[in-house]
Amino acid sequence: MVRTPSTRLARALLLPLMLTVVPSNAFAALGGSVTSVDADRVHVQGALMRIVRNDTFALHEIRSASGTMIREYVNGSGTVFAVAWDGPWLPDLRQVLGDHFDRYQAAMRARQSAKTGRGVVAINDGGLVVQMSGHPRAFTGRAYVPALMPAGVQPESLR
Amino acid sequence: MIRPLLAAFLVIAAATPKCGGSSSSPDGTTMPTNFQSIVVNAGPANNYLNGLFTSVTLCVPGQSSCQTIDGVLVDTGSSGLRILASALTLALPPQTDVGGAPIAECFSFLDGYTWGGVQSADIKLGGEQASGVPVQVIGSGGLPAIPPACANSGTSENTLATLGANGVLGVGLFRQDCGPGCVGIGASNPGLYYSCPSSGCQTIAQPLARQLQNPVWLFPTDNNGVVIQLPSVAAGGAVTSTGMMAFGIGTQSDNALGSAKVLTVDASGNLSTTYGGQTYSGSYLDSGTNGIYFLDSRTTGLPICTVNTDFYCPTTTQAQSATFRGVNATTIPVTFNVGNADALNGRFNAFSEVAGPNPGAFAWGLSFFFGRTIYTAIEGQATPGGVGPYFAF
Repeated sequence: MVRTPSTRLARALLLPLMLTVVPSNAFAALGGSVTSVDADRVHVQGALMRIVRNDTFALHEIRSASGTMIREYVNGSGTVFAVAWDGPWLPDLRQVLGDHFDRYQAAMRARQSAKTGRGVVAINDGGLVVQMSGHPRAFTGRAYVPALMPAGVQPESLR
Repeated sequence: MIRPLLAAFLVIAAATPKCGGSSSSPDGTTMPTNFQSIVVNAGPANNYLNGLFTSVTLCVPGQSSCQTIDGVLVDTGSSGLRILASALTLALPPQTDVGGAPIAECFSFLDGYTWGGVQSADIKLGGEQASGVPVQVIGSGGLPAIPPACANSGTSENTLATLGANGVLGVGLFRQDCGPGCVGIGASNPGLYYSCPSSGCQTIAQPLARQLQNPVWLFPTDNNGVVIQLPSVAAGGAVTSTGMMAFGIGTQSDNALGSAKVLTVDASGNLSTTYGGQTYSGSYLDSGTNGIYFLDSRTTGLPICTVNTDFYCPTTTQAQSATFRGVNATTIPVTFNVGNADALNGRFNAFSEVAGPNPGAFAWGLSFFFGRTIYTAIEGQATPGGVGPYFAF
């Protein structure tokens, strides 16, 4: 695999954080450690476009090879507290939702059994929020764990 | 209000019930054969709210062996015909790769995916026919296990209970369901199509002509789009609502644009909506979405329901206004009502006031289609209102 200069730069930027967190499941994003962000990038054969830091979180932007942008929000403890995406196709939801995928599926199954037709997705079971909108060729979504959100972050700003 | 298309159909249906195919009216003019009935009801699983359904006739390509399947969802938000294997009694020829292995597709909608083999059929809608069209047979047999990449994309909708319909008729803005993205080889391919020898399914590049097709653009005539017309429903809803779907835009007397304004869309099929002075770009019109989903409680002042938490529940019906804005800068101001979704009559299936939250965007679903005539023009197809893709109303 060819590593782009931006990837190497990203690794250099990530190194200090990686030293301070315990790597957990490499196949995890939401709720996982910051190291799982790179697992996501590899999984989608994408490129890390940039890392944006502010006082409360770091935003890692990954562009998948098929054109979907995935944004992962890392809190001060090095844990991914939110993921957001937009692009022509859905991301691998098991990959980006990590350990929360089964919870997402259970909520969707419950929706199906109480089916009221197709609408946008709005799941909030207290521990996990998933919001999805769009149609084939234009999907957007966000998922976050309220308990992991840094104080002062507005959910609407996660996109 | 009943507009010309629906009125014309009602007159024809009442006066000349045998009208159909390529027959002519008594005065010698050619009858329009470019339309068929659509209905909003509970659907074949008897559990759908604001589901727009129609019937589709499939035939073995080039043969007279055919089957008409009703309860197929009419979806302007996708392209291509998908039919549940459990609803299909016809044996259609499978699409295969050079080694003879069947081709299958994993197609993601917003709330789940359909998995099944790609097979070939002649599709008949109204008096129109598209021949030898790839269709997805959802949940078809004879395939290896669903590949992990497909199962990981979300929640399966491969049965009547989970799909809520006998199929989905995608008559949206695009000619193919995937388009150029699936033609290429390598990581840029989103991996919708698979070759499925018994050893297991592998993603493949799929040429445009072998992808699922919006059948309308393959019709010999009336092939530049669809017109969906539903009558208004009374406040509080209705058990059913019957309307018309016409094929073609500006090709016959019943599908003229008239005073409708054209809103062009971006490359992904979206346009903008302005509400409260803010403009939201991720907006779309979609007959396959049940309600009008827009913004959030903080922005709209509308409370979320306590039971049906996907919806808004104002204590009294609230009039809302917004403005559509096309990529071509054309604007259309609209008003719509938001009712209490927890107070809906459980015996009813068609509601114009069902709406819910959708932070940062507008999804104009079926609630918005009642009492309107909405045109969906297909990419690359010429119409009197310009070349598609666009929406118009």
